[in-house]
Amino acid sequence: MPAETMIECENLTRRFGHFTAVDHVSLKIAKGSIFGFLGPNGSGKSTVIRMLCGLLEPTEGSARIGGFDVVKQTDEIKSLIGYMSQKFSLYDELTVHENLQFYGRLYGLRGEVLTKRREELIALTHIEPYLNRRASLLSGGWRQRLAMACSLMHHPNVLFLDEPTAGIDPVARRELWDLLFEFSSRGMTLFVTTHYMDEAERCTHVGYIHMSKLVVCGAPDDLKTLPIVNPPGTKRLDITCDHVTTALQVMRHLAGVRAATVFGQSMHLLVEEQLPEQRIREELARAGVPRVDIHPMGPSLEDVFVALTTQNNGGGK
Amino acid sequence: MKNIFRGYSAILYKEFLVVLRDPLTLFFMFVPPVIQLIAFGFALDTDVKNLSLVVLDQDRTVESRQIIERFVNTGTFKLKGEVGSPDELSRAIREGKAYVGLDIPPGFTRELHAGRTARVEVVIDGSNSTIAASALNTAIGITFRESILQLLAVTGGRDVPVEVRPQILYNPAMRSPNFFVPGVIGLVLQIATVFATAMSLVRERERGTLEQLLVSPLSRWGLMLGKLTPYLFISVTMAVGLFAAMRWIFHVPIAGSVSALMVAVVFYVFALLSLGLLISTRAQNQMQALQMSMLFILPSVFFSGFIFPRETMPWIFYAVGACLPATYFIELMRAIILRGATLAEFWLNVVVLAGMGLALFSLCAIQFKRKIA
Repeated sequence: MPAETMIECENLTRRFGHFTAVDHVSLKIAKGSIFGFLGPNGSGKSTVIRMLCGLLEPTEGSARIGGFDVVKQTDEIKSLIGYMSQKFSLYDELTVHENLQFYGRLYGLRGEVLTKRREELIALTHIEPYLNRRASLLSGGWRQRLAMACSLMHHPNVLFLDEPTAGIDPVARRELWDLLFEFSSRGMTLFVTTHYMDEAERCTHVGYIHMSKLVVCGAPDDLKTLPIVNPPGTKRLDITCDHVTTALQVMRHLAGVRAATVFGQSMHLLVEEQLPEQRIREELARAGVPRVDIHPMGPSLEDVFVALTTQNNGGGK
Repeated sequence: MKNIFRGYSAILYKEFLVVLRDPLTLFFMFVPPVIQLIAFGFALDTDVKNLSLVVLDQDRTVESRQIIERFVNTGTFKLKGEVGSPDELSRAIREGKAYVGLDIPPGFTRELHAGRTARVEVVIDGSNSTIAASALNTAIGITFRESILQLLAVTGGRDVPVEVRPQILYNPAMRSPNFFVPGVIGLVLQIATVFATAMSLVRERERGTLEQLLVSPLSRWGLMLGKLTPYLFISVTMAVGLFAAMRWIFHVPIAGSVSALMVAVVFYVFALLSLGLLISTRAQNQMQALQMSMLFILPSVFFSGFIFPRETMPWIFYAVGACLPATYFIELMRAIILRGATLAEFWLNVVVLAGMGLALFSLCAIQFKRKIA
């Protein structure tokens, strides 16, 4: 079903002197989707977010949010978007309650409306017990919740989150994602940058930026079927065995194995289709790894990004 | 156009809370100014009194003791002790035990009674020119008076032929705190206010909260005014404290009206706070803000007429002084506090201060970029 487009950019480019931080990025994000934006540090993720939020002017190209131009219609954009920056920027001297109050007033909420919205967000984020605590005394997870509540005070249609889960414990991370799904189900569009592959897997759409260029963009399941990720005549295997590091060395030297990576107690292999499983078992047994479990598997998002990055770097490693 | 001060009340609310909650900011706004006032006020005292004096009385008569007494009675000198030889006298001055040595040669009384010139030697340490000049003038005054009295006794006249009847207006006791303390208040206010706002936006930039403000519909004018207002209140409160210290610690009477004084303070502080904000929009971190503030504060000490009269300066420094709010404020303070002048008589100073304030404030709002980088 074709959904309404919420965020749209065309050839968005930003240069700082001779350095091109963002190079002709074009995107389309549908209303209500959770868009995961991935890429290594310094690849241009934050620069894209800053341009979309109107904090930075594009050198070239254009972007629209909800149909409004981010450069020319900043007033309309401002009430439409919420932004949670990398550092969960809060006022440490203010209490939780005062931070909420401040951000509400900043967006022009007053009286009853302000109180009602504040109560809603307190209920949603469960921050009630900490209302009178100074923001400086909150733990990372609670700071992040408060920052999120603050950026939501004005009912934005689009929420930008720049690495919202960096440095947060796993429980808080999972709870944040639960909240994000809840917002998304209510029709809010979310634009999230992250380094975590498991978070990317949860997004409805992902984009991968590398060396200032958007390498790929789409639904995770669609990306996994890209030909570059599944070269013709190959298959992916998941191998569980003892002495994984020894096994890895053996596999890397075996003809017919294109790539081998360790994942905890198992290995992920990209092998040529005609390579028989028996051959793998024999090689491993000879190296002193007798008990081996082999299962076929599909590519992960990480495999997708690795394949695309390798291709982008000119095929070499 | 919509409200150009949009978001002002939110910033005001937050800024008041932040300032009042941050003990360090409050400490640095209130404590150093009071210490500076007291230190400057007591240190900058050019009244010369109680200069230590050593005496070498080689005559030892009623007359010689009388002249020593005349020296001490002026209050300028304070008898430190007697020495036994000219060498001892020079040593006392070289070692800094005395500023002035009084050497009465043997035969002083004899010469005096014989109608010849009786000499007294006064040895002065000239290292500090101000003190030396003052000591010299006093010594000359004493001996002149003594000479005239002697001459009158000889001629049988009763009155001094010519006499000066001085009438010193506004600071009759010629106390230096009266001159310096109003100036010190101007400088101290300047340091506290410029630093306070120079740090405020920079701190938000460093913490990352500025980005959060920039994505909101807050207007530049609202941001600037919201940042400035709390400090305006704090600075005016501080000024009241400084005036109280001036009045009751330094005993400087306020000849003019207190409300005129407060009006002048509000205009002056507004100009300085705007200047601080302007620095804040330019500086990337607190260190830069500090250095930029110093760049402005130091000239105010020298070229505002605070210590040295501007009229005697080379034209270039005179011109520098003309650009400093402190110049106009200090002039205004002295006029109101010491001479009881009214604002109407010094309207130009008020207009210049107000103009500087409005210009600086507009400049920060106009040139502050709603973008980062």
